[in-house]
Amino acid sequence: MIKRRKLVALLSLALVTSMIFSACGSGSQAGSASGQSKAGSTVAASGEAKSKDNDLVIAMSESVLTLDPANMTSTTTISANRTLYESLLTFDKDMKIQPLLAKSYDVSKDGKTYTFHLQTGVKFTDGTDFNADAVKANIERAMNEKNNLKVRKYFAEVKEIKCPDASTVQVILSKPYSTFLNKMTNFGIISPKAIQGGANLNNTADGTGPYKLKEWVQGDHLIVVRNDSYWGKKPTVNSLTFKVVPESGARIAMLQTGEADMIYPMPSDQIKAVDGTKNIKVESVPSNIVFYATINMSKKPFNDVRVRQAMNYVINKDAFIKVVFGGYGNHATSPMASTTQYYSKQNEYSYNVQKAKELLKEAGYPNGFSTSIWSDNTSDSQRGMQFINQELAQVGIKVDVQPMESATLNAKINEATSAADSKIQMWYCNWSPSSGDADGALRALFYSKSIPPTNANTSYYSNAKLDSFLDQGLVESDPSKLTSIYAQAQKTIWDDAPWLFLGQPVVQYGIKSYVSNVYMLADGSINCAQAALAH
Amino acid sequence: MGRYFIKRVLGTIPLMLVVSFIIFMFIHMIPGDPARLMAGKDATPQEIQATRVAWGLDKPLIFQYGSYMDRLFHGNLGTSTETGQSVASMLTSRFQPTLTLSAVALLWSLFVGVLIGVYSAVKRSRWQDYLGMLIAISGISVPTFWLGLVLIQLFSVQLGWLPTGGLSSIWGYILPGFCLGTPIMAIMARFSRSSLLENMKEDYIRTARSKGLKESLVVLRHAFRNSLIEVVTVGGLQVGGLLAGSVIIEQVFTIPGLGRQLVEAISFRDYSVIMAELLLFSFEFVMINLIVDLLYGVLNPKIRYNH
Repeated sequence: MIKRRKLVALLSLALVTSMIFSACGSGSQAGSASGQSKAGSTVAASGEAKSKDNDLVIAMSESVLTLDPANMTSTTTISANRTLYESLLTFDKDMKIQPLLAKSYDVSKDGKTYTFHLQTGVKFTDGTDFNADAVKANIERAMNEKNNLKVRKYFAEVKEIKCPDASTVQVILSKPYSTFLNKMTNFGIISPKAIQGGANLNNTADGTGPYKLKEWVQGDHLIVVRNDSYWGKKPTVNSLTFKVVPESGARIAMLQTGEADMIYPMPSDQIKAVDGTKNIKVESVPSNIVFYATINMSKKPFNDVRVRQAMNYVINKDAFIKVVFGGYGNHATSPMASTTQYYSKQNEYSYNVQKAKELLKEAGYPNGFSTSIWSDNTSDSQRGMQFINQELAQVGIKVDVQPMESATLNAKINEATSAADSKIQMWYCNWSPSSGDADGALRALFYSKSIPPTNANTSYYSNAKLDSFLDQGLVESDPSKLTSIYAQAQKTIWDDAPWLFLGQPVVQYGIKSYVSNVYMLADGSINCAQAALAH
Repeated sequence: MGRYFIKRVLGTIPLMLVVSFIIFMFIHMIPGDPARLMAGKDATPQEIQATRVAWGLDKPLIFQYGSYMDRLFHGNLGTSTETGQSVASMLTSRFQPTLTLSAVALLWSLFVGVLIGVYSAVKRSRWQDYLGMLIAISGISVPTFWLGLVLIQLFSVQLGWLPTGGLSSIWGYILPGFCLGTPIMAIMARFSRSSLLENMKEDYIRTARSKGLKESLVVLRHAFRNSLIEVVTVGGLQVGGLLAGSVIIEQVFTIPGLGRQLVEAISFRDYSVIMAELLLFSFEFVMINLIVDLLYGVLNPKIRYNH
């Protein structure tokens, strides 16, 4: 009997130990096994990796929510939409505005009249011609309150739309609106026949894009095929599949087996294990996202700018990037990301615990104080909050970390209708402007009227000078004046330190070396208009 | 028996009504505003209010419940606030993968689990018993998430034998079916073993043995048949759990099933989808319980439900 018990004990120990080793080993096994295959592929005659077919598969963590280009919220939806629909203008790799369906444009001196000269000879996939009337029909659809479309606010100042001829559209505003051109990069043009015909634009697509819709199984995959009647340079792949793969381990496995040719997002802790193996390259693009923690200025001791600045001095930004971004990213050097239009670099609050202690002492808090921080309950956010907690502890500030489920978090932030009501102390989050422009990066966060529940100004920051800079910026059309207005806005915000300015991540994705002309932009959207596979 | 069956079926209607009321009220009591989530992060308060009114979310709860049940009895499960599609179509497209995967998992795990349990009971305290229970304990203790990822690394990435996920080919069922079934196999193994051991202590087993019956007949025809009732009960509960979809397996193996859809709907406060899925799961459990109760009558003729 004793012998048997020992046997069982030994067996159990062996089983447990083997499990532990296989878990650790599977990481290094992948490394060594793929090390062998890497050697194998570079020995091949041409040295070029080839795809086994001419169909590009992109595995993403989120699903496409709608095919209606006037109602998009997520970047995954935008990436897929841009294969089917095109806007008048577009962004290039450097986030500069380029012509697309409008081959050129003029803006009147008073900034109120925008004239677009359209491409000719373009047809929608249902055979209808693309012309000025088509553009007008799309704008009217967007402006119609009954449709309740997300893009309605792009056209809030539109007074009149004129079509002097079939390839010219004039949009006349009641007052200047400096971000109008940026907004026109995110307004896909739908076939007017489809609009009038009452088709369900959520799941049908008649656009002018380089691809046409083939099949959409919501929450699982979207397949588009090359549009052989495309007016511009066609992609060479036969089809493009956007596959929903929420689990990052599964995405990486798909990239390794070749079931996926590109994946996004790419978890930073797997990059070293995967980059360079099995024909995989990990690419990085600076993003337009800023990570920060808001500080509720309406609550003591946060009403004292010295306290807020001290908190900024005590955070080690290099450590933040290591801990939260896995080592890939940059310091935040402005309230907006460096890739945003009219970005202006500020003087950093460099890591300096001594200076922080001095400022706190001056403000009357030599031994620190207690506070709390909120965020959602993803493991990344919790890591960020714990990091902030540890850094602030260096000057005696005790932070109660409170992760919450996101809709609950939203409800708690927005139940306060004024600064006095607000219970939030600090909020750890990130922001990127949906149309890449400075106003989009600042207004919702710093304008005095943007406090919850209207928008995300949970610092309850209220500075009349900043408000007037933002208002001026919106109606100014001279780029050099805009540069100076937004530079002053950024400096005002930076000096007031309503945030802990943390970091700017990079957009990272994994892609096979046989894929060309597919790249990601700073906002996390994918451009596959010219996709090609070596096969 | 027929009368019993009809009475039970009719009895599900008031039961489901009560269940639907409770679920509806609970869902709406969770903090979080679906109108705000629908309108998006850039929305103004006016836009949020317009969204709220458009979806009838500003009316009192009882009124909303009434409208929901009215639509339900007309066969309309509502529209998803996240995707804009009809909930019925979303549910049917996700139901089939969950159903087939559950079937695959149950097919092997119920049989293998009971087999291991019976064999362990028969070879009690011998090495076969210890091995069987070791397998059972591992099956329950190993986290399915980890197991799934390790199996993907081994069979898909390293060996290339099986796909990494999805159900597009028949091979895609193997790994998720195995991971889903493992805890079930483990539970069934332990349970059938202990149930059989209990029954083997009974007097009628001694009688059967003393009659000179072959041991295998003693075990299978007599002891095990009596264990079947308990085994079927536990098995039924496992079936119910599987049909609700396993979020973890669906996530790891990229399967578009009901479990993942429920989690997404909860994050988005998509009330119509949450209601429809929870009603479906409740209905499944009620039906499975009914089938299990009827099976009792088959397994043990003494159990009859006639008055």
